[in-house]
Amino acid sequence: MNTPDQDNANQKRSETAWAPPTARMKVGEMTGSARNINVDGRQPMSPLQGFGQMWQKTFKVRLSGVDKSAAEVMQIWKENFPKFQPPENRFYPSMAGIQPGEVLLIEAKVPPFAGLPSILPVVTGVMVLYADDTTFTVMTPEGHPEAGWNTFSVFEEDDVLVAQCQSLCRPNDPLYDFFNRFMGASSQQDKIWIHVLVSLADHFEVKGQVTTDKVLVDPKVQWSQAKNIWHNAAIRTMFYVLGTPLRWLRPKNRPSS
Amino acid sequence: MEHIFSASERELPGMVVIDLQGEINAFADQELSAAYERAEGHATPTVVLNFKEVSYINSTGIALIVGLLARARKAGRRLAVYGLSDHYQEIFQITRLADFMNIYSDEASLVAELS
Repeated sequence: MNTPDQDNANQKRSETAWAPPTARMKVGEMTGSARNINVDGRQPMSPLQGFGQMWQKTFKVRLSGVDKSAAEVMQIWKENFPKFQPPENRFYPSMAGIQPGEVLLIEAKVPPFAGLPSILPVVTGVMVLYADDTTFTVMTPEGHPEAGWNTFSVFEEDDVLVAQCQSLCRPNDPLYDFFNRFMGASSQQDKIWIHVLVSLADHFEVKGQVTTDKVLVDPKVQWSQAKNIWHNAAIRTMFYVLGTPLRWLRPKNRPSS
Repeated sequence: MEHIFSASERELPGMVVIDLQGEINAFADQELSAAYERAEGHATPTVVLNFKEVSYINSTGIALIVGLLARARKAGRRLAVYGLSDHYQEIFQITRLADFMNIYSDEASLVAELS
């Protein structure tokens, strides 16, 4: 049983780490030139709200010989999070950085079919749901390829620092589910987290071997969530790109509403 | 850092309650999973998580609860919770766990409704 002082300290620690209550995502002042077309006003999605099977995927790399604390490594990871992504997956944090409640915009390119180059643009984002000294978690919005959370953490295991990405997600709608099952989108997503961990290990000059563990948490497809396709960010990005010439032609002096 | 978490179960009419104590984070995984497995051994339609003595939940802890919820739904069981502080009730709203489980303020109100 905790003392009232301990309870208060835990309450404060928790309030600092979790995102403030929010029903819809709000994009703050951004770094870079990211397009905010599929995030602002969208509801955050938990793995329970998606369409396809729910998977927990855990990617780990051992940072052998790194003489830093878990919190120091996490600080470096947070500061370099966009830099550690593969070139086709660009992250734009807000000016506040990786802080609870902040949104990171994403401009990604995905392959149209398995094995082909990544050429189809998807503009989306994630909200930082939780962040403490050694862990942070991002939550996806409606329309994102996956519904759920990705948790990034650093901890000690057998006296060695380990960096971990763990996703608890399911495809958000039937189209994403199709691409996951038959077009290699799922393995493409795996490659992103492996790339992130290898980049982090490289930063510390460690030749890290990434291990992967996949658990099917819920094999059920949730047909009641098929409606999520309305917000599909890939489809909406495609229409946005196709509409670019029309936006160029639009009179520039029209008063904004 | 010390990681103290414990979970024990007890049966009430029509439900089994898992009393949780300590911090729910990655270190709680095995203990929580084992307690849930024991609870599944009771042939009750409802499994209840009692958070009254939980001091802290991080995002990995919330993911563990999602895992339990998925197991409960797969087995056709209802998962209910009580004893959450106002703050963690908000977290259950943000993470949208609240969409899938009934949240009660205390054991008396839960028993009154579910028994």
